[in-house]
Amino acid sequence: MLFVVSLMTFVIMWLVPGDVSAEIGGTDATPEQIQQIREQLGIDKPLLERAVSWYGNLLRGDLGHSYLLNRSVVDAVLERLPVTLSLAGLALVLATIMGTLLGIVAAVRHNSWLDQGSMVAALVGLSIPDFWFGLVLIILFGVTLGWLPTGGFVPITEDFIGWVRYMTLPALTLAFTQMGVIARMTRSSMLDVLDQDFVRTARAKGMRRGTVIFKHALRNALVPIVTVVGVTAGVLLSGAVVIETVFSLPGVGRLIVGSIQRRDFPVIQGGLLVTASIFVFVNIVVDMLYGWLDPRVRDER
Amino acid sequence: MTMLGNKRLRSFLRTLTMTSVLALAAVMPAGSAFAQVAGGELVVAQGSNPPSLDAMATSSGASRNINMNVYEALYGFDEKIVPMPILAEGVAISDDGLTYVFTLRQGVKFHNGDVMTSADVKASLERYLKVGATPNLEPIETVEATGEYEVTLKMKRVTPTFLESFSNPRSPAVIIPEEDANAEAGKTSLVGTGPYKITEYVPDSHVTLEKFADYTQDTRYAGPDGFGGKKTAYFDKVTFRIMPEPGAQVAALEAGEVDLLDQIPVPAARRLQNDANIKLYENLEWAFGTLILNANDGPTANIKFREAVQVALNMEEIVGIASEGLFAPNGGWAYPGSPYDVGDIGAADYYNKHDTEKAKALLVEAGYNNEPFTIITDNTIPFHGRSAVVIAEQLKAVGINAVINQVDFPTVLNLRMQDTGWNAWTLTMGIEPYLGPAAIVSTLTGTRPHFVAKDDQLEALYTELISGATQEDRKATFAKIQKRLYEYFGVIKLGDTGQMQASRGNIEGFKTFRFPRVYDVWRAN
Repeated sequence: MLFVVSLMTFVIMWLVPGDVSAEIGGTDATPEQIQQIREQLGIDKPLLERAVSWYGNLLRGDLGHSYLLNRSVVDAVLERLPVTLSLAGLALVLATIMGTLLGIVAAVRHNSWLDQGSMVAALVGLSIPDFWFGLVLIILFGVTLGWLPTGGFVPITEDFIGWVRYMTLPALTLAFTQMGVIARMTRSSMLDVLDQDFVRTARAKGMRRGTVIFKHALRNALVPIVTVVGVTAGVLLSGAVVIETVFSLPGVGRLIVGSIQRRDFPVIQGGLLVTASIFVFVNIVVDMLYGWLDPRVRDER
Repeated sequence: MTMLGNKRLRSFLRTLTMTSVLALAAVMPAGSAFAQVAGGELVVAQGSNPPSLDAMATSSGASRNINMNVYEALYGFDEKIVPMPILAEGVAISDDGLTYVFTLRQGVKFHNGDVMTSADVKASLERYLKVGATPNLEPIETVEATGEYEVTLKMKRVTPTFLESFSNPRSPAVIIPEEDANAEAGKTSLVGTGPYKITEYVPDSHVTLEKFADYTQDTRYAGPDGFGGKKTAYFDKVTFRIMPEPGAQVAALEAGEVDLLDQIPVPAARRLQNDANIKLYENLEWAFGTLILNANDGPTANIKFREAVQVALNMEEIVGIASEGLFAPNGGWAYPGSPYDVGDIGAADYYNKHDTEKAKALLVEAGYNNEPFTIITDNTIPFHGRSAVVIAEQLKAVGINAVINQVDFPTVLNLRMQDTGWNAWTLTMGIEPYLGPAAIVSTLTGTRPHFVAKDDQLEALYTELISGATQEDRKATFAKIQKRLYEYFGVIKLGDTGQMQASRGNIEGFKTFRFPRVYDVWRAN
């Protein structure tokens, strides 16, 4: 899987016209200057040769050196990872909490105004473009009310309160767009479960409503929800690019997009490999959660 | 098993409560900056990362914005674009024009505490010849330290415009310590002699500058002038924040988190023009909008066709839309009133004519048969893409089969290096018009002129231009060049476009220039 990702990246980059010599040389570079830069960086070599040497280095744990950033690809990605992980992680937590609660409310008060209302909220979140919503939040909370900073980043290790202040708006924006998916999945999954006999039995024997919903129904409805949350984690990682741009966060998404715009191939290659690894890791975690949540899945193994 | 469910729920709720507590803690407003003339912090926002902080090795404007507050050169342009001594006391040029003896200012300190001597200058200039991003210093044969504060340059040939190239800020010939002599491009210690020193660079986030306490002021002047003069650092700290989203930049300025925007979108500036907390700065002489034609391929290989394109265009419409209204129609290849302004020679009969009948007649004369006219453009620089759209529509109206191929900037730079496959390319020239005629014409001549097929007359005129002994001679040649550009039609001047900057209302002393000068700027009480 990771091999396929890196191979695809290689081929796509090879197909895309233009290389980093344009960024280094500028608009007025002569063909000789361009050729000289290409030779220095080794990007005039054939694709196969470059691919073989890249994979060779990869096996030694070396992702190469950025053409433009003056540091190794590993450093370039690692120093940005905390930003993107804080953003996507916090957004995932917010989206999951808000989405699940909305979904439960909608399912329990099926066909009431609460159901309609929460589904409308979910749909609005799903439909609003995130960059626009981000700018609206910035103007509202950053400019008009002046409660939160309009953008930027403070590492959690340096200043926890600062980190929360800076992450709140970006994480909310990102969470809002994905909350809808989780809410809709929770709702339909809960509706299925709430119709089943054991729920009726539990209610009939006089168990408290809250216990029935959260202890019995939700627990059984969790597997599809966890699947959606897993998928959402991936979407949040890719959605982070836009949010990082709007909120001026120095994250991995902007690193990769900036590198694509400037054709810094080693960073694109390495950055995508790391992102793909996180993707795979999240999927493995989700698979493991299935077994933990549902004994039937575990027993089949 | 049910225990687990409960635990999950509790942890859900716990996280929820924690989040709301944190959200409350987070809404407390940030402390406001203090108000006094010296001290404090200035926050500047710009859209893109500086590709390099090694000033001589990059020609990027995003780098220059920061570097020119940090590094200095022997010579640089003053406010009127005339070379002035900065780190040099002066220069003596031999009668044969082949020897330049620079005397250096004494006691100038680097950020690392060392005093600048001829050894540092020699090392810097020799390094420039290896890694410099423009061939400004190419005429130099040798650099010798002929005294502790004296450096002698021997030239390969007589170059009357050498001092201008030497002062060129595009990739400035800054002086760095001898220790960095052999540093590869982009790998210096970032030490310079300027009023601010670089303390931190986090790509995609910020560059932090600190006031250089031991800065050696140039007391020959009364105040800052162009790239030199007497510079005074008032702010203790200056942060350049990298904010790619213009809307977020404006919001940060309105919220007071940013003090100065290197560039503010014109519509936002119009909205804020009556806001007492915001000051706006307008610089109409920021760049030339141009349309470059490929004189080597397709319909544009025909000079009559190129003339048809020239007379068909309505420049006010194109530049007005592309610049969002901040522009001046100008068919000349110099800014009005600048040293090389030769008025509308050549332009008078061809610029901004939008003459449909004449264009159609020329197309017939050219034998045009609806071949595609491919405009390559990019969305990286909004002006490029917007002007291409308007141009295409105007050309369609006279019967040209205009097609837009919009890609990203590196792809455009790759495509335009191909001899065929494109007919037109939208480009804004920023620094070249500022530097003067030689900088512009050098991109239209040589082995690879922008319009691909070179024009022999222009080649001869370029040689005449750079060997002109006095400025009057060169200006006379430039008049012939401008006339020739309106005969060859390889490049079409669209107009002059402006730059709008903005600051908080309490920022004093700021003036627009080729880079944001953060010295001699302070915050009012």
